[in-house]
Amino acid sequence: MSGRPIATDRSATGIPTHRLAIWWVLASEVVIFGGLLGAYLMHRLGHPEWAEAASHTQTWIGAVNTFVLLTSSFTAVLAHQAAEKGDGKKAAMLLVFTIGGALTFLMIKSFEWYTEISHGYTITANTFWSFYYTAAGLHALHVIAGAIIMGIVAVGAFKGRMLHRVEIIGIYWHFVDVVWIFLFPLLYIAK
Amino acid sequence: MSEHSDHNGHGHGEGHGTGFYFKIYLTLLVLFLISVAGPEIGEATGIRAITLVTAFGIALWKARLVINEFMHLKAEKRIMKWLLTTSVILMALMVAGVSPDVLNHRGNNWENLAAQAAVERGLAEMAGEVHEEEGTEVVEAEPAGFTAAASYGTVCATCHGAAGDGSGVAGAALDPPPANFTDPVFWEGRDRDRIITVIRDGAAAVGGSALMAPWGALYDEEQLGLMADYVMSFNPNQ
Repeated sequence: MSGRPIATDRSATGIPTHRLAIWWVLASEVVIFGGLLGAYLMHRLGHPEWAEAASHTQTWIGAVNTFVLLTSSFTAVLAHQAAEKGDGKKAAMLLVFTIGGALTFLMIKSFEWYTEISHGYTITANTFWSFYYTAAGLHALHVIAGAIIMGIVAVGAFKGRMLHRVEIIGIYWHFVDVVWIFLFPLLYIAK
Repeated sequence: MSEHSDHNGHGHGEGHGTGFYFKIYLTLLVLFLISVAGPEIGEATGIRAITLVTAFGIALWKARLVINEFMHLKAEKRIMKWLLTTSVILMALMVAGVSPDVLNHRGNNWENLAAQAAVERGLAEMAGEVHEEEGTEVVEAEPAGFTAAASYGTVCATCHGAAGDGSGVAGAALDPPPANFTDPVFWEGRDRDRIITVIRDGAAAVGGSALMAPWGALYDEEQLGLMADYVMSFNPNQ
């Protein structure tokens, strides 16, 4: 592949194309996660018996993961700041920290799911657990995708190339954080 | 904080130093702590409003901070805010439109028998009144496949060791070290009730180390007893 992508500089809205694109992605993500969480909330309110199943989620594990994601959002915004200043190496390093946060989150989640599944709380146990694994699983897929893309962006940033990507992956990563900010009280706190 | 919209696509979020972002991060952490502590207080006092406000009100506040200050939506062009608002409105319309059918289990000319049965069955299970009815499928009250040995292997052995001697991999770095259940000295003055309390509420509940976390969310009363019996089986003098 060679040549210059033609869409890079075009923008009827006055917003750079790459940023416009990520906001479009997130606007569709709002509907995906919003629909799923809205459906969960409605069922939770309509089914008082879910309280029993919900009481088995492990609040402190969810809390640790909330802390991990908030911290990774902080390093992501610092990476953006470094990229704005043209410091690709620092941006890459901060993205690596953010990837570290993503991996920590996933390791904790694996441990959490392992204990739950080994206690018989599987995705087919009842509708609460179906929602639990679907919502947290869809979120975890976003964490995995974000970590992979951040790795690619970090390699480029380290070489001082395409630093604008650091901001874009950052916006995506903060969105993943925002989704978890809502998942945490829904799945772990509201028993 | 600048309210500017950048027209050239550069300098987005410019003017914010590391100190500013750190302040936002600290605010998020404080809000996070409130969102964990609030519901505990709400539960202890029985005031449900405290739980709802601290859990969901704080979540909205945290999300707003991340969106405005980390994603810089505040400094973004107005059209972007409208795009996202449209998404949120469409989603809310969908939820609002569907909610009467999901929240209620009967209406003017309809009845959701399956949902009613599920609620009834679930509440009966919670009250411990599960009994088999003719021709009705009864969902198991206990998740299948629980054994104290398997659960010990998953939950406890990482620190206390599979043999109960405190030699688990994750326990190596802990100070104080994990309890050694095979040491007769350990069992002096420790009875079954105390073991159950520690498994359920954590060692801090009996004045021990907070490193022994509470696991009560994983087990019901019967399972707690089985877990305690399993742990006590390591006692060499038993």
